[in-house]
Amino acid sequence: MKRLSDQTLYEIIEVSAAAAPAEIARACDRAAATYGPGSLATYTLASAEETALLSSRIEEARVVLLDASARSRYDERIGVRPHDAPAPAPAATPLALTPAPVAAAPAPPASTPVPSPPPPPHGAGGRAGQTFTPPPWPPPEVEAVSTEARHSSPGLPVVSQPPPQAAAEPPPASASPQPHAGPPLASLPPPAPVLASGEEASAQPPVAPAPLATRPGGPLPTPAPPVPIALTRAVAPILLENEVAPPRPLLVPDGAVWSGEMLRRVRESRGLTVQQVAERTRITRHHLENIEQDKFKALPAPVYLRGIIMSLARELRLDGQKVARSYLDRMGPVTDAEPKR
Amino acid sequence: MAEGPILKLVKSDDAAVALPSGGSRPPSRTRRITPRARRILSVGGGKGGIGKSLISANLAIALARRGQRVVLVDADLGGANLHTTLGLDLPRRTLSDFIDRKVERLEDVVSPTGIPNLGLVSGALDNLEAATPKHAQKMRLLRHIQAMDVDYAILDLGAGTHTNVLDFFLVSDHGVLVLVPEPTAVENAYRFVKAAFWRRVRNVSQVFGYEELLHDIMQGASFRSPVELVATVVERDPEAGANLANHLAAFRPRLVVNQVRTAQDAEMGHAVVAAWRKYFGLEMDYLGAIDYDDEMWRAVRVRRPLLLDRPGAAAALGFERIADRLIAADESGRAADRA
Repeated sequence: MKRLSDQTLYEIIEVSAAAAPAEIARACDRAAATYGPGSLATYTLASAEETALLSSRIEEARVVLLDASARSRYDERIGVRPHDAPAPAPAATPLALTPAPVAAAPAPPASTPVPSPPPPPHGAGGRAGQTFTPPPWPPPEVEAVSTEARHSSPGLPVVSQPPPQAAAEPPPASASPQPHAGPPLASLPPPAPVLASGEEASAQPPVAPAPLATRPGGPLPTPAPPVPIALTRAVAPILLENEVAPPRPLLVPDGAVWSGEMLRRVRESRGLTVQQVAERTRITRHHLENIEQDKFKALPAPVYLRGIIMSLARELRLDGQKVARSYLDRMGPVTDAEPKR
Repeated sequence: MAEGPILKLVKSDDAAVALPSGGSRPPSRTRRITPRARRILSVGGGKGGIGKSLISANLAIALARRGQRVVLVDADLGGANLHTTLGLDLPRRTLSDFIDRKVERLEDVVSPTGIPNLGLVSGALDNLEAATPKHAQKMRLLRHIQAMDVDYAILDLGAGTHTNVLDFFLVSDHGVLVLVPEPTAVENAYRFVKAAFWRRVRNVSQVFGYEELLHDIMQGASFRSPVELVATVVERDPEAGANLANHLAAFRPRLVVNQVRTAQDAEMGHAVVAAWRKYFGLEMDYLGAIDYDDEMWRAVRVRRPLLLDRPGAAAALGFERIADRLIAADESGRAADRA
């Protein structure tokens, strides 16, 4: 198993490198729901930085892997040929150990973006938990000690390769993903950025969602891996400004007026249903629908509405403050005219 | 912290060698030359009140009814109540007698439960000191549990992350982690399982003499994830790193999600497994979910195990499914050993 920053985008969202776009889109949604900041399953499991890093990489996967040309460039960079890695199937998991070493290879050529061997490891690490519970199951724990080969299978395997990686990681990790991340914000069309891998460190952060920004103190706590830290530090500042921009194609001008319609489009571009948002934010469907339809009269008083919209906006990875202010401004006149209950 | 030798907390090589011979026998009830609990299963989860005791009791019954010889050990020292969940009066013999050496063998304190194939070692203690056994006493208990001639020894662990609890969990073949879909339980479960994991790191390093190495490495750095730790060890000493990785990879809790009210709750088990892998690089197996079921507390009130009182209840079916999965897994494990 690799560190989050070392995993390929495919590993991050747990699909094979041959996955079809539809599958990738589903996987992104699933990953966001499973690992996202609001997920009960990750409550207290990971640090804020880790959660933020993972969320940003999931969004990055969405942006890069769902864009055919960006994806093919990415594949090339990480050394996956489209039909190469198809079989990261369940069985692969146990083997993770072995392939790992290979993966290490890419490291050295840090400067060159041409790590070719990585493909196998991906498959291995990847595949979601649900699928393969059975295989490694029985024998592992018991005689763990004696049979090393078999046991190596679970988790740690990949770890063994770190030495090389440690040095090299930074480049691959940062080099690949960020380029994209950054650009969308800048309102550039996704493709171009890839080439600009120059300013990796700064580039990556953009994607990172709010969490990071909220606790600037965070980054330091993770002392162990020098690399990750570096990244995180770089990230934080940038975030503050970029938070607003959805990493998706949706280019939201800074002074955007946030109507219900806008919110609906952002939600849909995130692949979220009203129901999903309702479950995650605890805002009732009813309110959500009224917000999206601008049914101001049916909405709660502004004092309450502000909080509601902020949490909705945050769920959509928008700047809660701005969105709420903009939305309330629009309805301002209405409510003033006919004060509610 | 170093309290004497680590006994079989990490299975030593010879222990591992002994296993295949046991496994090579037909999985039926034939006597083995050296009696040995085929599987030790412990039920923990950090938080109190999440159903550890009820899961232990009902799982034990489900396994016993499948023809497995099961002994249920109330390892919740100081908070023992398994006898109550089984509808038994306080047994005359309890763990105190064993811990105080009034009896020599653990078998001597096994009480019948009225359920065929199922015995109970009650943990209800008269002796307050016994609630926090000394290291040597704990090791003796573990040794005896491991030597019991049964198919399953099921340990009901107490709440919290005391080292006594962790050690029972770590020595088990199946460390069952119980979770309820609530933030408090999730938090405690992660704390529990992380604590168990780091204790295992410590145990492994003691057995293999990596203490200094680890001490050095951990100085000044706190490792959030095993991946990082192992990576750093590998840098210093590749061989030790690989060995450590192997041993830690064997740390593989079995997850049970209890008090499930919606399909979404049950799905959470998969999410936890995935998140554990994602962030910790370690595996976990999702054994299954148990429905939140009013029959459950009704059964508790009348001091009857659910499986006997309301065998058709939704929660009861959950126990049955988990028992089936455990047996299937252990059978295929033995088959693999034979091969």
